[in-house]
Amino acid sequence: MDLFDEDVSQPSPIALVEAKRERRQPRYQSKPESHEGNAKWLHAHYDPYSALYTFSSCIALADLHGDGDNKLIIANLGTGKYDMKLKVYKGTVLMTENTIIDLPTAVCTFFMDTHDPRTPAVAVASGPYIYVYKNLRPYFKFTLPPLDVNPVEQDLWNQAKEDKIDVQVLKEMLESLRADGSEGTLTVRSLRFLMLDPEDMPTFANLHKHSPLKRQTVITCMTTLKKSHSEEDAISCLVIGTESRDIYILDPEAFTVLTKMVLPSVPVFLDVTGLYDVEFRVVVSCRNGNIYSLKKGSKAPKYSIELSSQPVGLQRMGKNVVVGCMDQTLQCYTTKGKRLWVLTLPANVMTMELMDYKTRGFKAIMVALDNCEVHVYNEKYLVNTIKTEDIVTGMKFGRFGREDGALVMTTKGGGLIVKILKRNSVFEEKDSRPGPPAAQNQKLNIPKKTKLFVDQTMRERENAVTMHRMFQRDLYRLRLDAARSYVKALETSMTPMSADPLEPLKLSATVNGIGPSFQLTVNLQNTSSATPSINLLITFQYDEKLYQLQRSSIKVPLLVPGLNYAFQTLVECISDKAIADTIKVFVLRKGKSMPIITGNINMPVSEAQVVV
Amino acid sequence: MAETEQDSSVNPAQSAKQLDSGNIQGDEQTPDTDMAVGSSLLAPEPVKSPPQPQPKPRPKKAPELPIFECKNWLIHQHYIRKEYELCKSLIKEELQESQGMCEYAIYVQALIMRQEGNIQESLELFQTCSLLNPQSVENLKQVARSLFLLGKHKSAIDVYNEASKMNMKDWEIFHNLGVCYLFLKEYSKAKENLKLAIQYSRHEVSFQMLARVYLLEHDVDMALDIYKRAVEFSPENPDLLTNLGLLYLQTGQFQRAFEHLGNALTYDPVHVKAIMAAGSMMQSHGDFDVALTKYRVAAASTPESAPLWNNIAMCFFGKKKYVAAISCLKRAVYLAPFDWKVQYNLGLVHLTMQQYASAFHYLSAAINIRPKMGELYMLLAVALTHLEDEQNARRAYEQAVLLDQKNAAVNLNYCIFLMNHGERKAAVRQFSVFEQKLQEARKHSATVDQELLDMAARLGPSLHLGENLVWNKQQGADTANSQHPGKAPVPAAHTNDVPPPAEDRETTLPTAPPAELQPTAPPPEPDLDALPSPPSHPLEEETSSRRERVAVPAD
Repeated sequence: MDLFDEDVSQPSPIALVEAKRERRQPRYQSKPESHEGNAKWLHAHYDPYSALYTFSSCIALADLHGDGDNKLIIANLGTGKYDMKLKVYKGTVLMTENTIIDLPTAVCTFFMDTHDPRTPAVAVASGPYIYVYKNLRPYFKFTLPPLDVNPVEQDLWNQAKEDKIDVQVLKEMLESLRADGSEGTLTVRSLRFLMLDPEDMPTFANLHKHSPLKRQTVITCMTTLKKSHSEEDAISCLVIGTESRDIYILDPEAFTVLTKMVLPSVPVFLDVTGLYDVEFRVVVSCRNGNIYSLKKGSKAPKYSIELSSQPVGLQRMGKNVVVGCMDQTLQCYTTKGKRLWVLTLPANVMTMELMDYKTRGFKAIMVALDNCEVHVYNEKYLVNTIKTEDIVTGMKFGRFGREDGALVMTTKGGGLIVKILKRNSVFEEKDSRPGPPAAQNQKLNIPKKTKLFVDQTMRERENAVTMHRMFQRDLYRLRLDAARSYVKALETSMTPMSADPLEPLKLSATVNGIGPSFQLTVNLQNTSSATPSINLLITFQYDEKLYQLQRSSIKVPLLVPGLNYAFQTLVECISDKAIADTIKVFVLRKGKSMPIITGNINMPVSEAQVVV
Repeated sequence: MAETEQDSSVNPAQSAKQLDSGNIQGDEQTPDTDMAVGSSLLAPEPVKSPPQPQPKPRPKKAPELPIFECKNWLIHQHYIRKEYELCKSLIKEELQESQGMCEYAIYVQALIMRQEGNIQESLELFQTCSLLNPQSVENLKQVARSLFLLGKHKSAIDVYNEASKMNMKDWEIFHNLGVCYLFLKEYSKAKENLKLAIQYSRHEVSFQMLARVYLLEHDVDMALDIYKRAVEFSPENPDLLTNLGLLYLQTGQFQRAFEHLGNALTYDPVHVKAIMAAGSMMQSHGDFDVALTKYRVAAASTPESAPLWNNIAMCFFGKKKYVAAISCLKRAVYLAPFDWKVQYNLGLVHLTMQQYASAFHYLSAAINIRPKMGELYMLLAVALTHLEDEQNARRAYEQAVLLDQKNAAVNLNYCIFLMNHGERKAAVRQFSVFEQKLQEARKHSATVDQELLDMAARLGPSLHLGENLVWNKQQGADTANSQHPGKAPVPAAHTNDVPPPAEDRETTLPTAPPAELQPTAPPPEPDLDALPSPPSHPLEEETSSRRERVAVPAD
């Protein structure tokens, strides 16, 4: 009957059970894949359409009914706005669902009393509240202690309540208080009030002014800490981190704050070890990228680890802290902040989980990566890789059903995966990284040479001297030709740059259009530093059988040095043959026949005129 | 008290809870009932939800106002997973909700903007953040960071200074200040700040930056020292180890350099920079096959690196696979047409292949890129000699002799050239310069190419010199020591094949061209320019053991 009470030799026992339940959800069952790394795991369940949006902190495994059958508890964020649910799975079947009002931040199961049967309570952190469920029924709601309200602000609202000041004054006073900013932020009420349109303000003020002013904060992370005994089912305290940079440790029975600690930044991941009554240590990573370590009795952090990038997951391994960072590294530190090792991972870290397989006394760190793999690290050695069907965003390893080594994963696409560690799997505690990189055995890609190449080599060997001389002679000729043409161009002002220091001009031209009409733009620039150019003309030389210009001569105004002048004219291609020619642009000085500069414009071939 | 009460009344309490289970499940209108339950269990704080003034007219009750920061944790969770699109839509909602008053949402949006390259926008957003919360050092730091990325180092420094007033001991502020000063070329201030940063908290980046400042000031020893400290602090960082190895290489401590490069490769066998440096050292010891295996790894990750293909080519050259060498060099020259080393090597290989016309082109290209190198002119002269352009060859030799300070081969080659053209007097002069340079080289215990010595030994008698006896004695001793010409690609090959076309040389004269083999070292240059800053500092004790380790991966 029981889902997980299976024989190891059976390939996928859950699949059998699922077959019976097919009517519930006709489900796409992916075949258990036999990836290399998956040899150690049984593929128990994969439902890609579970519509789960959750994080590792919102997943828990616990024996909620004291019947030895561990349930899976997932606080689902729904769509992120509504449909937030606390889901409980028995085996892979959804057993109950409770609606949660706001986004759940974290879920913990803990024993809050010593009654029999020993059933743990479920704590769901959400906004400023912790909802405690017993026997899956709402039991108690804890609210975070409110923060101190700015006394001036308090005073203002008190006066407003007694109608001593009107809304306008209240608004102005609050605004100045906010701008001052020296006393911390204002309450939500004041902030909302200041956001309103002036006409809505009185209504808002009247509605709210009678309730006491309070400043709340929200929970960002939560975990548990055993109170005075370390047994599995001993009473635990809740440890919560808040947006107001505090850590609270709550008494499990009375829900009073036992201890409050202050952090320099907002906590993100919490890890607590020890016993509250004896000695404990809180390791917490914060939004400023630092990890702080606090001991019993310390009000402020003692040691800090400064990471080079934001942590994505934090786990304790014995006395060490293992952190996965945004820069694709896995780093290990002692709690005193000394770095032991750094590994570079092949992809981004999504989440991390401690794999504590008690029956074998095996502990390892599981790291989910965004290349659809989960890596298992024992110390700094990669001992196993699990390939998954989707990117894993939430993970929990522990006892599920009656199976001790179950790994529950939720994926980015909302799927739920369950894998079971085979009882005969052994993780070798050695470096499974290959010695030399694979590339070392690949052949170099060296371009091959043809016979022609060899022939040419032979020819050169025999005729090197002749070749060289021939080349040198031709090179001289080429240079001579080039020099001659250049001199000629200079003499006839055929260049677009003026060589004459008295006429420092630069010409460039562009042709726009596809034809038969083109627009010709001539840009003229005076490159001197101070002398303006005057008395200039632009004219064109072209084949009159081919082109017709709208303006064949353009008068140039005074050219201010440095500025770019554009002159435009339309060119009509009057030939229907697909041929193109060059148009020459001359810049002339009035009264001189020799152009100052010349530009050659290669006209594009004109499109044929479309007659409609 | 609470305990007893609870103990005695579990069942009633529970049933009571069931009654108001609705309040947890979503009905916001009933916090008061919830309140009652809470307080019966000794609720922690009685102030929690607004007590209703009058229970009956419900509409009067003020609704709960959601807190602005209530989704910050979610934004952060998505941000650290690099789910930027999700993040952005969350932020957008959040900002709409709070009308842009949620500091953390803006902060994360700015971070994402910066990741995506919109630095100006990110700067504006960070400035908004610091307006919303002027007390936050973090906001100021980010403003400064964006300014820095925009290249506005001076303004960045101002903001950092402001931030440092709020937090006196933040290494990050001082580190970044140091980097800003580095870019402003105010090295002394840069050093001061970087040292402060290291003092507050040691980070690898600070060490690297500090070493870089020293290198910019040409203070290799200090840079070496900094890297030594950095490696002590973080002994497994391949970057630091490689840079240290390269600095040792620069200072001529080859043994240590190799140890550190080897260490770097043990920690990261695919570290391209370390592979290149170690490979070039292996090459210069003639371990071409080992170097080639290493280069294969590098070729997989950086197939478009010109220095890599250059080095591979020179390995083939060393193994006398000239066609492969030319293939690889041509690829290198395609990838980096303006790298004179590649052109030099192409010239050298073509000379060896007796393709003098091609050699001439590559060498003249190299000279155009790097006009102040004597050896290039010498090779050019050799090529020209073979192309029977005596006049230009002579001019090239003259230029080479003028520019070169150390390389004895230049003078020897010139000497042979002169002898072949019957100018004994000039030849003798060159020969004596050659000997001087040789002495100089011995003093620095540099290994001398055996072929050079042989050539000189044959040349000596034909010049009828008396003095060279002295040199001959020394030479005898020397040959014993340096059996293996340590230099890299010894293009020995073409020594004998090319007796220059009959010239009126003296009978005794060994054919001139041989001495040209000279082209020793340049090929496998480890391309130092490409490496940012050579590092510094090794662990001396470990060295010997390391060396063995290096050998292993090489196999």
